[in-house]
Amino acid sequence: MVKIFVIDNGGQWTHREWRTLRDLDVQTKILPNTTDFEYLLNQEVNGLVLSGGSPRIGLTDKLGKCSDYLEKADFPILGICAGHQFMARFFGGEVKPSKIPEFGKIEIFILKDKIKLFEGVPKKSIVWESHNDEVTIIPEEFELLAESNTCKIQAMHHRTKPLFGLQFHPEVEHTVYGEKIFKNFIRMCEK
Amino acid sequence: MFNAKDFIKNTVGLLKKNIRGKALIAFSGGVDSTVTSVLVNRAIGDRLIAVHVDTGYMRKNESSEVRQLMDDLSLNYRFVDASKDFYEALKGVVDPEEKRKIIGAKFINIFEKVAEEEKIKYLIQGTIAPDWIESGDGLRDTIKSHHNVGGLPKDMKLSLIEPLYDLYKDEVRKLARELKLKISEKQPFPGPGLAIRIIGEATAERTKIVREACYIVENEIENSVEKGIMEKPWQYFAVLVPVKTVGVQGDKRAYGNIIAVRAVQSIDAMTCAYSEIPQEVLDRISTKITNNLGDKINRIVYDITNKPPATVEWE
Repeated sequence: MVKIFVIDNGGQWTHREWRTLRDLDVQTKILPNTTDFEYLLNQEVNGLVLSGGSPRIGLTDKLGKCSDYLEKADFPILGICAGHQFMARFFGGEVKPSKIPEFGKIEIFILKDKIKLFEGVPKKSIVWESHNDEVTIIPEEFELLAESNTCKIQAMHHRTKPLFGLQFHPEVEHTVYGEKIFKNFIRMCEK
Repeated sequence: MFNAKDFIKNTVGLLKKNIRGKALIAFSGGVDSTVTSVLVNRAIGDRLIAVHVDTGYMRKNESSEVRQLMDDLSLNYRFVDASKDFYEALKGVVDPEEKRKIIGAKFINIFEKVAEEEKIKYLIQGTIAPDWIESGDGLRDTIKSHHNVGGLPKDMKLSLIEPLYDLYKDEVRKLARELKLKISEKQPFPGPGLAIRIIGEATAERTKIVREACYIVENEIENSVEKGIMEKPWQYFAVLVPVKTVGVQGDKRAYGNIIAVRAVQSIDAMTCAYSEIPQEVLDRISTKITNNLGDKINRIVYDITNKPPATVEWE
């Protein structure tokens, strides 16, 4: 059984991420973001989800030991919302308050073909959002994968490592292809 | 995947092992507390005492229906009418968080009193995941203090047991179906009740108005769902907005309050889309409310906000 833990940065939907993984038969639990990386290694995890956060922490906060995970892990990591924003900052990108914050229903457009994380997801789809800040400059080592009309950096991945960032929330019911995205992520963790 | 049968078996086993002596359950008659009662009742039988509190903010006929339900389930129960106390405690209170906290504390007072009389050591609640997630903690922001989480005193003597802590409503409904409970599809109703469906002070008089409006919205929507005109919403109700607008009723100037109609689709309340209620149903709701509530209400609006950015309830 594949083992993927959820790192809790204080988001409203952290527990929803846990539930989605559990429903897809993943061995999972929620851990505080102060958990040591060594503990994750001892547990032999196959992947991590960095949850969204309490208000505005994506902007400047250190998010506990999330930088350790991003630096040391060779397994896949999926950053969601504040987790995604932190990933961008850690690799030299920039996060700023959104000119137009997005809440609720938004249409996104996938910009690249043959991206494993978006396999089976149409070019245009409805996702659910909830953010006041966003990534404004993508790190050099990353590639842009999706955008919306009001937020240009909706999804990104590292060019050589299995690191993924999503501004929107694949874990909630109203994101139409959310479960599909999780399934794709789980498949990458299985390898 | 969540398995209802296994969950029931494991939980009843654990409860049997962990509860020594008597326990009290806060029984609202909704899906969460009813499922919890049945599980605990299976584990410890009549050592479980269900307590239902009529807060005065219940819906039309609700408390008598709850009494019937407790009879049907053969629960050992106490029925407490505390409506006067609640109205008194909320006099002059307008802040939604303050309302929720006062109500939560009042509930606990009543439970502690019963517990003392009956020498009960455990308080059992039907708390589910969104209740504690939205109530906030050291890490998470408080969206709203759910009465069963935010009102608990730090020095509470009763030990708290919440068997459904990690579940969402759709999973609790699966348990209810497995247990063959007739309330399995009942729509959620918040613990603070109609008090948080009145913007501003929740007086007895305003409660009467919003109770009638909720009754009309529920009836019209349930009839339309039965006729196949629309999909069943996750939740559907009325909110009293004490803002006056001008109208004309029988050639006479009217100056009454607003009722907002709210209906949303969801499976777990963590995200919601507003329901697409057909025009003809909205029409019937509007006419019925304004005709029944006379000079009190002369304007009906329909809430077209998703969650986020809004929440389901207005307070």
